[in-house]
Amino acid sequence: MSLAVAEPRLLVLNSDPVFQDNTLEVLAGIQDLDMRVIRSLSEGIAVLLEENFDAFLVEAEAPIAVEQAVNIRQHFPSLRILCVVPSHKPAEAFAAAQDQNIRMLPSTSSWRLARGLSEFVQSLESASATPSEGIDPRHSLIGNLNQFSAAEILQMSCLSQRSGRFTFKSSRGNSEIYLQQGSVRHAVYGTLEGESAVAEIFRWRQGRFYFEEGIISQEQTVNRPWAHLLIDNLQKLDETLELVGV
Amino acid sequence: MRDRELETKLRLLTLQLDNWKRLHDFITYGLDKARPIISADQERQFTEVRSHLLQETEYVFTALNTVAELSGKAMNVLQRASSIRGVREQTNDEIRRLETEWNGVFTKLGVVQGQLKARRKDLAGQTPIQYYFSRLFSRPARAH
Repeated sequence: MSLAVAEPRLLVLNSDPVFQDNTLEVLAGIQDLDMRVIRSLSEGIAVLLEENFDAFLVEAEAPIAVEQAVNIRQHFPSLRILCVVPSHKPAEAFAAAQDQNIRMLPSTSSWRLARGLSEFVQSLESASATPSEGIDPRHSLIGNLNQFSAAEILQMSCLSQRSGRFTFKSSRGNSEIYLQQGSVRHAVYGTLEGESAVAEIFRWRQGRFYFEEGIISQEQTVNRPWAHLLIDNLQKLDETLELVGV
Repeated sequence: MRDRELETKLRLLTLQLDNWKRLHDFITYGLDKARPIISADQERQFTEVRSHLLQETEYVFTALNTVAELSGKAMNVLQRASSIRGVREQTNDEIRRLETEWNGVFTKLGVVQGQLKARRKDLAGQTPIQYYFSRLFSRPARAH
């Protein structure tokens, strides 16, 4: 097994990237980083739906940055998010960010900013090293999420009452969904489990998947019927797409 | 190696090009007679793109050393295209002039972007030591 190390991809939200560019200047000096800059939240959501990014960075005053980051968190539960803010205040914004697993980086001094950003990018580099692999004869179904969405694949498998394990692999990481007699029994993605993991996988538009027949999970983290999960998640996806249209 | 100044220029240029493309999308929409409705939201987005360009063009063109060539054309486009509705009401001659000047700005920016990307590619294959040695030895002889 070989390790294919890709450049980490970072999406930066900055409403004034030409004149308020301290963070961007520091990021420009970091080797092996693929960075894209956007100016609005709706543009950010549109880009995140289309492409895979390892992390999302917001640079703004703390209340605005946290509000935007929380909004992104609601639509992309597993994305790493960093807010670069000018000071340690207000404390409420920092508390709200902590609740949503959003990292805060006060840019009170240039060396602190440079060190914080460098550490953040390094953490992405280690996470984006994904193993590459060939076709395994045990995989009864193999495909690409560009052509079939996770919702379509799961719908097909649930309708045909399959039992087994789906593995989804993308630059965001690996995730697994276990089916039993056409129902989703367990789902896991990083630290997420159950319905939140299913919701995350629903949004993936790039990556690969394969199905291994007959692998059953002992754990059960999803208790609702597939049809309910499908409707809820498609509704959430519609809400996300509505935001893009704003 | 990565040159920070080059990366900054490329970032500014990419942002600038994005805005010129968006402006073109709105102008094209305005000129499409098959789409009779121009919403207030579209006008707002158009004004936002225009405001970004008005603020940033001079600064970015200075950074790219293209002020003399592009500033006049860019200002002409931004002044003539005051709104999507305004674009729709222009005469054929005015529209042609608008498109020609937009094309002049876009073409030049595209060429500069290509040059900067080529420079980035060259640098990517060099270590800092190779880079400084190549600069040292390729310095032209001073005339006495």
